[in-house]
Amino acid sequence: MRRLDEYPIDPEVAAALDAIDATLAGDAVDPRHAELAELALLLAAERPEMDAGFADSLDERVERRFAAPQPAAGSGGAHRPLRGWLAPAAGLGSAALAAAVVVVILAGGSTGTHPRSAAPLPAISSGPARASSGSAHAASVPAQALKSASGSASTSASGSPSTSASGSPSTSASGSPSTSASGSLSTSASGSASSAGGSTSSASGSLPTTASGQASSSSAAAQPGPILQPPANGRKIIQSAQLALSTAPSRIDTVAQEVFDVVGQENGIVSSSTVTATGGTGGYAQFQLSVPSSALPQTMAALSTLRYAHVSSRTDTTQDVNDQYQSDVNRLADARALRTSLLKQLANATTQAQIDSLTAQIHDAEASISSDQATLRQLEHQINFSQITLTINSPVPVPVPVASGSGGFTLHTAAHDAGRVLTVAAGVALIALAALVPLALVGALGWWVTATLRRRRREQALDTV
Amino acid sequence: MIETLSAPGVASDEGSWERFEALYRSSRSDLYAYVATLLRDPAAAEDVTALAFERAYRRRRTFDRRRGAERAWLFGIARNAALDELRRRKRLARLAVEPDDPAADVADEGAEVTLRRTAVRAALRKLSAREREIVALKFHAGMSNAEIAGLLGVSESNAGTLLHRTMEKLRKECDATT
Repeated sequence: MRRLDEYPIDPEVAAALDAIDATLAGDAVDPRHAELAELALLLAAERPEMDAGFADSLDERVERRFAAPQPAAGSGGAHRPLRGWLAPAAGLGSAALAAAVVVVILAGGSTGTHPRSAAPLPAISSGPARASSGSAHAASVPAQALKSASGSASTSASGSPSTSASGSPSTSASGSPSTSASGSLSTSASGSASSAGGSTSSASGSLPTTASGQASSSSAAAQPGPILQPPANGRKIIQSAQLALSTAPSRIDTVAQEVFDVVGQENGIVSSSTVTATGGTGGYAQFQLSVPSSALPQTMAALSTLRYAHVSSRTDTTQDVNDQYQSDVNRLADARALRTSLLKQLANATTQAQIDSLTAQIHDAEASISSDQATLRQLEHQINFSQITLTINSPVPVPVPVASGSGGFTLHTAAHDAGRVLTVAAGVALIALAALVPLALVGALGWWVTATLRRRRREQALDTV
Repeated sequence: MIETLSAPGVASDEGSWERFEALYRSSRSDLYAYVATLLRDPAAAEDVTALAFERAYRRRRTFDRRRGAERAWLFGIARNAALDELRRRKRLARLAVEPDDPAADVADEGAEVTLRRTAVRAALRKLSAREREIVALKFHAGMSNAEIAGLLGVSESNAGTLLHRTMEKLRKECDATT
């Protein structure tokens, strides 16, 4: 695009300018430009000449290459040291910024973004969630222990008649509370174990704490601990337990057979059982056992020390039903006394109406007696036989990540590390660009504005002097 | 008269010094004449001239021949320094400049020439700084119209027009004086 001041110059003006140039060059000019040529010569003669002293002084300074520069005319000499510091300061600031970015990125990567820096995975994962009514398998990490504890509580509620009847809430070791209808409190603790190494974590808060003396449950750690027994004070107590075992996939059948053997030795009953042997990973078995309460400690001890199984979690639950038992006994005695009384009245009855009425009442009393007897028998059965819910899992082993350095230095790891380094470097560069580009743009804009203003002020100086 | 430098950084430090020294020798008088005409103050002109050469020496490695000749680069530095000096004078409420004696140094010339030179000096004092700058660049620094245009940041035709107008103004002033 052509600028406005680039239009061809007027021929007369061009001729005059040529005359000036010719005059200064010593050439002859057209007579019509003689006056202009004379003026040009007079102007050239007015050229100021440098003072000899100043010329010598300047020559000397130049020879010294301005070794000792003297600030002249308010020059920018004072600015040079500042400008000299600018570059190192900017470099230092950029380096500090880059270092800070690197530190932030590396710190962020070590707290979870880096897959290899993440918390180590458990060697054995929790079992498949097939145990809809059984206790879930507890793995070694706390979160899974929490799931296990919760699972044990729910199993207890659904599988254990005592707990189910009372609906007693249990506060598990992981702190997940559940609310019960009866308001009785039991504390359950759950342990966790790794089937690979048998590493255990002890149950936290596993002591059976019985609030109001109604019910309690305790969940033991993976390692078989002391078998909990309620105090032998003659009170009627319903006991139940949930036990989760883990074993190798190929040992599912063996462990199941051991369970049958233990139950038989203790004169117990296998109410139901489900054994699934896949031949590979994911084998699963579930048992609903009923054993004499007197043999519950021995049974639990035997089940907890099976040859090829490890205890993942164990929950012991007790419920004091002494008051309920006494109430049922009294109600039955009352019903029997009522029937005896009615029979006596029937013997003395004189009218047919009295006979019919008493007969009906006796019938009702006998029905009540039958019902009370059934209730009492059921309660006595629950007291005399404890329910055990047993699950056996064969967890899917999770490959343990090889820690850096322990697996040796290979081309693969080197390539991985190199890629990681390049990724981090690219990230650092990107972040640095994101921070520096706006700053550079602002700086460039500021420089442009400053330069424009300075140039304009300088031009204004020509107009005002 | 115009010399060019090779690209900075390519030659050695000694080579750049030699080129700077050659530039200094060839431009020293022209540069002083330009600055002195613009400032109308010999002392300030000496300071600005010295400052311009020192700045050029410090910045000699930043010279880019693609942006113009070395001489134009040097005059650009001097022009900025001179304009800064003009601004500084303005802030100092205008220093009392010793008025030139129109009849000075013309005692041994003829009456006609003396009269003409006196008229020219009087006319020069009536020019604005921008007009004086054109005269200084053309008649005292020996620049071509193209070089003047490059230094002032205007087109060559515009520089010629400015010069022609200034010459016309001077001629009228001289005619009025004589």
